[in-house]
Amino acid sequence: MDVTVTVNGETKTASVPPETTLLKMLREELNLTGAKLGCDVGDCGACTVIVDGIAINACLMLAGQAEGKTIQTIEGMASLDSYHPLQRNFEELGALQCGFCGPGMILSAKQLLDDNPDPSKEEIQDALSGNLCRCTGYTKIVEAVADAAREMRGDKQAA
Amino acid sequence: MDDNVKVQDREATLEELREADDNLRLPAVPEHVSYPIETATPEARTQTPAVGQRAARPDGRLHGLGQTKYIDDLSFPGMLHAKIKRAGISKARIKSIDLSEAEKMPGVMATLVGGEIPVNSFGPSFQDQPLICEDMVYHAGDAVAAVAATTEQLALDALEKIKVEYEPLEPVYDPIEAMKEDAPQVHEGSSNIYSSKVIKKGDVDEAFKTAYRIYENTFSTQMVEHVPMEPHASIAEWDGNGRITLHSSLGRITLGRADIARVLELPINRIRIIATVVGGNFGGKNEITTEPILALLSKKTGRPVKGVYTREDEFMSSTTRHPFIMDYKTGVDKDGKIVARKVRLVCDGGAYCSWTETTLGKASILSAGPYNIDNLEVEAYAVYTNKTMTGAMRGFGAPQVCFAYESHMDDIAHDLGIDPLEIRRRNAFHEGSSSPTGQMLHSVVVQDSLDMAAERFGWEDRKYEA
Amino acid sequence: MKRKGKGIGCMWYPIGFTVAANPSAATVKVNEDGTATLLTGTVETGQGSLTVLGQIAAEELGISTDDVHVVSADTDTTPMDTGAIASRTTYVTGNAIKLAAERAKDILFEVAAPMMRVKPEQLEAVDRKIQVKGFPQRYLPIGEVALQAQFIQGQVPIGSASYNPPTVEMDPETGQGKPFSTYVYATQIAEVEVDDETGEVDVIYMAAAHDCGTAINPMLVEGQIQGGISMGVGYALQEEMLFDENGVQINPNLTNYIMPTSLDMPDIDVDIVENFDPTGPFGAKGVGEPTAVPTAAAICNAIYDAVGVRITSLPATAEKVLKAIKEKKANEQKQLAPAE
Repeated sequence: MDVTVTVNGETKTASVPPETTLLKMLREELNLTGAKLGCDVGDCGACTVIVDGIAINACLMLAGQAEGKTIQTIEGMASLDSYHPLQRNFEELGALQCGFCGPGMILSAKQLLDDNPDPSKEEIQDALSGNLCRCTGYTKIVEAVADAAREMRGDKQAA
Repeated sequence: MDDNVKVQDREATLEELREADDNLRLPAVPEHVSYPIETATPEARTQTPAVGQRAARPDGRLHGLGQTKYIDDLSFPGMLHAKIKRAGISKARIKSIDLSEAEKMPGVMATLVGGEIPVNSFGPSFQDQPLICEDMVYHAGDAVAAVAATTEQLALDALEKIKVEYEPLEPVYDPIEAMKEDAPQVHEGSSNIYSSKVIKKGDVDEAFKTAYRIYENTFSTQMVEHVPMEPHASIAEWDGNGRITLHSSLGRITLGRADIARVLELPINRIRIIATVVGGNFGGKNEITTEPILALLSKKTGRPVKGVYTREDEFMSSTTRHPFIMDYKTGVDKDGKIVARKVRLVCDGGAYCSWTETTLGKASILSAGPYNIDNLEVEAYAVYTNKTMTGAMRGFGAPQVCFAYESHMDDIAHDLGIDPLEIRRRNAFHEGSSSPTGQMLHSVVVQDSLDMAAERFGWEDRKYEA
Repeated sequence: MKRKGKGIGCMWYPIGFTVAANPSAATVKVNEDGTATLLTGTVETGQGSLTVLGQIAAEELGISTDDVHVVSADTDTTPMDTGAIASRTTYVTGNAIKLAAERAKDILFEVAAPMMRVKPEQLEAVDRKIQVKGFPQRYLPIGEVALQAQFIQGQVPIGSASYNPPTVEMDPETGQGKPFSTYVYATQIAEVEVDDETGEVDVIYMAAAHDCGTAINPMLVEGQIQGGISMGVGYALQEEMLFDENGVQINPNLTNYIMPTSLDMPDIDVDIVENFDPTGPFGAKGVGEPTAVPTAAAICNAIYDAVGVRITSLPATAEKVLKAIKEKKANEQKQLAPAE
């Protein structure tokens, strides 16, 4: 079957068997390998992408279900001009170690900040609770999200 | 380009594009890669002196951009996908393996069984582990066959079609049971107790006689898994000169290369292993797993073969942390200073040796704790059981024994009415202390770490209602 | 009712392999502008070792972290390395790199000395300069020296070295010997809150003081400590592989194998116990594994402090803790009964 989606602002079509997950379609057909396969059953969050504004596990959505939807993956966070504040803060604080959970973590954080620009520490922890990380212990990740939120609020005030 | 030509004049209409030469095809899915122009380097990376800087990691930037290519992100032309069939039974003789149904499936390009592997055994201490089981299965996660197919789904489907006939044998799961004379042998012809260590210092029996009080307890820990977020993954590819290149998540590539040379009977310089990007290891990726299997499947098919563990494979078929059963007996004087300690460690060694020797060695040395003990006896045993093989995992037995000796220390402190911080101060190593193996220790900062943590925590001030 | 408690876990841990040889080799190449490339066979598994090793090479050459590009983990192009295991990378591979960088630096000194009209032993590499010890006004930028070396003198500034920690084999009867070259020490103190009606344990706060010799990169050390504590919390309270009566795993998946999420983490304060180990590169030892070692002990001691029950088998699940609390209460009733 043919599936057409808008990914990171571009419209793309792929031809896939019906049982293909959105994750497989992104990684294998559209060459967007940022979303990772960690468990394939929606437990680890490494496949998190934002679909129509909501962070979801791409391994739990069939490609067919994504037809016509707007998807943002990690590859669409930075632009040619600059990194996203989340990416910059994650880098500067050393919040990513092996990096495998990184794309999913950053997208979950982005959805949080899109909905709630001034989250408390508990709200950040809660938003990230579906993204497993084995390396970092989450501490620096939560700090980086809080710093990015501050930066993004500061930018808006300046503007 | 000519500045006088307007942009609109350069654009083609949809009709014009459709009328363009049929052979001129635009890529249906252009690759989207972000290279932000802003490439400022974080300041800490540009400062001298370099030691002590909170330098950000260059790979950290790539991780955040999603540009890091892990093994599963790599793709080669014509690449096949391999999956492994697991035994599902913990102790059995393999009577027959029927691959015919699987091999008939369209898209299945090759299969592999243990008998096709030139040297079907490996292991860092004893070479007791087969790549694919040939006639005996030792734990439920053992490999019994492998399949390479054009897609991952096809490979998984093909595994279902492989028929294996087993003759179940008697397994043993509990390490204490397995130590008994009449226990079923996990590996035929060898005792279930496959490694032991002894440490003796001073004279424990005499010293216990002089102790003010003696405490005894038994502690045990569970089997856990590393759970790296990236599952084991490898890609095998040969070139026309009979050289194999393996992209792998292996943490020890020099050892891996030597093992592969031995298993495939190749000279070492014909093997290249690249492990530049790994998504977490924690000890679970320190030995070969599927690399030789993928190499042989690649040789059979003439195509690159990628094998990625499913999350289930990660739990069932990759190494885990040794469960320990630890008996502690400690004699102290009335000030809570340790005068004698006796430890017995029984380590559940799983189906194969893997890193058990190392774990046992380290655990037995560390089991006394960071404390001055003149009279010490440690006996440690590793025992085969028909469960998932236990191997290297962050700490090699240290977390297990630390749980035991620290819990034990608090029990002693409470019984004698001594503050847990104070009893540790009285016993802790200092510069020049003698270790359990008689080594003179240098750069010893146990006391400092106790003091710093206690001050940070507010040990004296944090009191709770009874 | 929720009860709080505090508990200490103190530990020691060795660096490197037990007695056995575990060498690492490294090559440092100085480019003609004074930047450098480091070749190491070690594998970066996420812990940040390549950054730390780059810092060690940079320190030896007097340049910055960003001036060193690190190439790793290719058996064709990088020298052998025993691997990222046993917390040995900073210490063993680091020492190999320091020696290799020193050899490359010696070539630079030999070329620079006549240019500055001094002897090579009088020179030091600091702040991207080759300068005279005690008289830093006389110096040359490292780039100028490297260019001179490679293209005028034809002496390429490249150095290779290997390192293996010195040990003494252990006696088979008594275990006496010197199995490791150095050890690290640490204390973690936990504050927990136990619900004595459900047995649930919440780790609220952790103070961790870890020795790593010199902290080459304090930010990465903190990351290791926080990560190690998360593994320790899981080990103490949640994680367990369960087998059925046929030896088959019941929970080989992340749905039923419980491991810590961001909600399970305590607040952590990290203190690095700075000290200088003369046998390590710039005094450094290692930190990777020790961080996961004392956590479970600290948590279980804190549980004892909170509700007076000693958990002797991990994990200290809510069921186990509750059962122990109930047994304790029952024993206390029994002891009270005879008095009535």
